[in-house]
Amino acid sequence: MMPAVRTIGILSLALAAGCAGVREAPTSEMAQTVPLMVESPRVGPLEPVMTGDTAAGIEPVAGAPTPPSKSASAARAAPPPAKAPAKISASPVAVEQPRKNEVPPPVARPAEPPLDVAALKSRLRETSAIGVFTKLALKNQVDDLLEQFRAHHQSGQKSNVASLRQPYDMLVFKVLSLVQDSDPSLARTISGSREAIWAILADREKFNSVT
Amino acid sequence: MDTRARASALLFSLAALLAGPAPAAEDVTLLKDLTSVIALLGMPCDRVVSARRQADNDHIASCKNGNRYRVFMNAEGRVVAQKQ
Repeated sequence: MMPAVRTIGILSLALAAGCAGVREAPTSEMAQTVPLMVESPRVGPLEPVMTGDTAAGIEPVAGAPTPPSKSASAARAAPPPAKAPAKISASPVAVEQPRKNEVPPPVARPAEPPLDVAALKSRLRETSAIGVFTKLALKNQVDDLLEQFRAHHQSGQKSNVASLRQPYDMLVFKVLSLVQDSDPSLARTISGSREAIWAILADREKFNSVT
Repeated sequence: MDTRARASALLFSLAALLAGPAPAAEDVTLLKDLTSVIALLGMPCDRVVSARRQADNDHIASCKNGNRYRVFMNAEGRVVAQKQ
């Protein structure tokens, strides 16, 4: 009798562990998304003090009375209130420093990586976010659009390529809508390379070299 | 009933329990796939609620809004949704 009870206990533990394993997947996805949201503020000002100075920087002349946050922080650092007027006279120098710090972030922005069409294609092929039928239907539509671009480039018209922008955008939106829930990383990649892909399709020489 | 028989019966029932959800998950994937295809082809269908397989790459899909479509791959390799 006892071994049977032990077996039941072990099996129920295994089952519980299995169920617990399944539930972990969404939390890991959440954990992936959270750093993305945290990273974006890092692009901006480095310190919260600078944001207070930015507000003060809007009114440079009236800066002495307006930076209450700065004066408050300065008051914390320097307890005697008698020195407050002296700090007001020194405030223009203090306001200029954060301005110098605000300029660099746009320069520090990294350049976008070049478009890797082959990798994107293989990722689309391998993603489990889209079913087999849907992938085939998508391929049909992509082939149709490519045929339209090919016909356009062969006709030699230069002004008419803009008319293909709408069907191109529609197709990209369809792909994004199919992928965004189950494969957000791929959706981001596609969305980010939309203009680069258009640049290839719209240019005759680039198009011919790719297809 | 001895303990060994009990344990094997328990194992079988557990195996049946764990094996059960697999076909259902496959069905859900197929229904989702058919829903996406029908939407991609611009046909009105809220959501595919059931599907009947006729042959390889050939299904009859029943939509929530009452429409039925034959979704199949034709001789040219194109996926087609044909209203029934």
